[in-house]
Amino acid sequence: MAKKKTTIESKFLPKKVTILSYQRESADSFTIKVDFAVKHEPGQFVQVTLPGIGEAPISICSYSDKFMELNIREVGDLTKNLAKLKVGDKLFIRGPYGKGYPMKDLKGNNVIIIGGGCGVAPLRGIIDYIEQNRADYGDVKLFLGFRTPGDILFQEKIKGWGKNFDVRISVDKLPADSCFAGPVGFVTNMVKNEQIDNKNKVVFVCGPPIMMDVVIKILKEKWFNDDQIFISAERLMHCALGLCGHCMIHGKYTCLDGPVFRWDELKECKND
Amino acid sequence: MTNFTLSKVDLNAFIKSLSKNFDVYAPVKDHVVDGGSVRFKVVSDAKVICLSENAYYPLKELFFRKKEVLFKYSEKGLEVPVKKVKSKAILGIRRCDLHSLANQDRIYMREVPDPYYIAEREKTLLIGYHCKKAEEYCFCGSIDLQGNADIMLYELPGNKFLVEVHSDNALRLVESLKKIFKKTDIVIDAESRKIEGSNRLQKKDVHSFYDNPGWQEGIDKCLSCAACNFHCPSCYCFNIHDEANVHNMKEGERIRTWAGCQLKSFTRVAGEHIFRDTRKDRFRHRIYHQLQYFKERYGTTLCSGCGRCIRFCPTKIDFIDILNRM
Ligand SMILES: Cc1cc2nc3c(=O)[nH]c(=O)nc-3n(C[C@H](O)[C@H](O)[C@H](O)COP(=O)(O)OP(=O)(O)OC[C@H]3O[C@@H](n4cnc5c(N)ncnc54)[C@H](O)[C@@H]3O)c2cc1C
Ligand code: SF4
Ligand code: SF4
Ligand code: FES
Repeated sequence: MAKKKTTIESKFLPKKVTILSYQRESADSFTIKVDFAVKHEPGQFVQVTLPGIGEAPISICSYSDKFMELNIREVGDLTKNLAKLKVGDKLFIRGPYGKGYPMKDLKGNNVIIIGGGCGVAPLRGIIDYIEQNRADYGDVKLFLGFRTPGDILFQEKIKGWGKNFDVRISVDKLPADSCFAGPVGFVTNMVKNEQIDNKNKVVFVCGPPIMMDVVIKILKEKWFNDDQIFISAERLMHCALGLCGHCMIHGKYTCLDGPVFRWDELKECKND
Repeated sequence: MTNFTLSKVDLNAFIKSLSKNFDVYAPVKDHVVDGGSVRFKVVSDAKVICLSENAYYPLKELFFRKKEVLFKYSEKGLEVPVKKVKSKAILGIRRCDLHSLANQDRIYMREVPDPYYIAEREKTLLIGYHCKKAEEYCFCGSIDLQGNADIMLYELPGNKFLVEVHSDNALRLVESLKKIFKKTDIVIDAESRKIEGSNRLQKKDVHSFYDNPGWQEGIDKCLSCAACNFHCPSCYCFNIHDEANVHNMKEGERIRTWAGCQLKSFTRVAGEHIFRDTRKDRFRHRIYHQLQYFKERYGTTLCSGCGRCIRFCPTKIDFIDILNRM
């Protein structure tokens, strides 16, 4: 007998998933792996729900259609409550949403990845992608910046990246009791001091708005064209469906047309 | 299609017959509940209908609800509530509001089919009303209006309406009520379809005004209260939040409510960063969404020229005047 249809289809309704692993990354951030198996592009995001607490957009920081990893910074209600979960606990997810990095169109390029703080999370998906499709891309250079050595994300992963890619890490500040051999200062300084030309290169940037502004300025000084630069924009999001309006930038929906934009698509948009 | 006439005396009989299959809504001026403001309400008597004034509350509140339960949660899981809605017949919708409704339909029925909106909206019979004269702030004549009613009513001399029928359902209905709908040869010419005095906005394209100093005049008077958003029949933005049942925190609802882009919190993210932080950014954003962004994306202006956002603005910022002077 046909099962009586009792539920209504709604794009707002998330699916229940289970936490497969939980890794503390820093004092205020952690990475979870969940059994949410969907095809997606690097740079896309999902909407994560804890019923009764709320919902928020979180970037997918892995690249796999068998599971999904999310790196979460504890800034408010939802993220602090997510931090309290354990392996085996349930949460709800819908997605994936948005336009990611157009990796297929960028085959054959050398790749520069510039990430600041939790902006490294969506970029980690690209690195996973490149590792799985290594022959399609040339040299890969990573510039990653964190506040202090204690804030460095994905430490285990980064060790592995070092074997295949040119990885540079800087920290903004070096507290007295910490040990760190790399440069101290903003990640933007590392990029500025590096001899790089724009030949056959694409640049992926993600980080706080101010950091992205500075990076783009530096890249322009190094003669990079707008269409070689890809950024991941952050905006307040309530729906991820192109409806609620909160994420709009000068008529573009960050949740539909972004969050990844090629710089020439966004540069005229100012504050809107 | 054939046109008909309907004597205003027979409006009551029309409503009675519609009431068999529909909840019949019409603009009502209610001094007791709404402080004398006009609002679309269920009517059973034509006496209470007010066609002489445009509604204070936007028609969208009947479909895109001010508050909607997206799903209920409990330990058993998540469930979308089933809505049981009686079909609506809405009488007295002006051309501007038909345009706004068409835009809302576009978003919530076509772009992202929304079961909550569709449940309220499907099978609705739309009976439009062609108003004779523009109110002080109207500018619908400057807008390329879209959207059709099933039936359109035009004022005729002699206390009558001319009735234009635009859908098969409506034709069946009108033909079944032979006693009150009389066939006629009268047709509405292009000139009579215009609304007198409604052609206020002289600028067709706001694209080049982005950095114009002219905005300042409006910005200085704006209180960022978002009354313009909430009265607008076209605005379709919303917030989402969860509400727990206070007696059992394990259960509750995810709620969608109207949102206003004129409020600072509309673009606030972590670290208290507000993308549209100044009144200028917000004021201009609303006008741009209404007159440009929506058109770029969907081909029609979001704005219908109804003038509510000026009429009900506490400081009466006439952005049409402002644009015209740019
Ligand atoms: C496309 C996209 C991808 C994101 N990816 C990640 C990620 O991988 N990891 C991660 O930790 N965070 C990510 N964020 C940010 C994350 O969504 C917010 O930090 C989150 O909404 C905070 O929710 P909360 O309930 O914990 O905080 P709240 O209690 O809601 O608020 C805390 C503060 O965060 C602000 N806030 C609310 N929503 C957002 C939002 N969408 N973006 C930024 N700030 C917001 C609030 O205004 C407030 O100032 C992403 C945001 C976007 C738009
Ligand atoms: S109603 Fe008037 S004062 Fe209030 S936000 Fe809108 S334009 Fe500003
Ligand atoms: S923006 Fe103003 S004039 Fe245009 S539809 Fe909305 S309320 Fe009416
Ligand atoms: S998040 Fe709602 S429109 Fe983009």
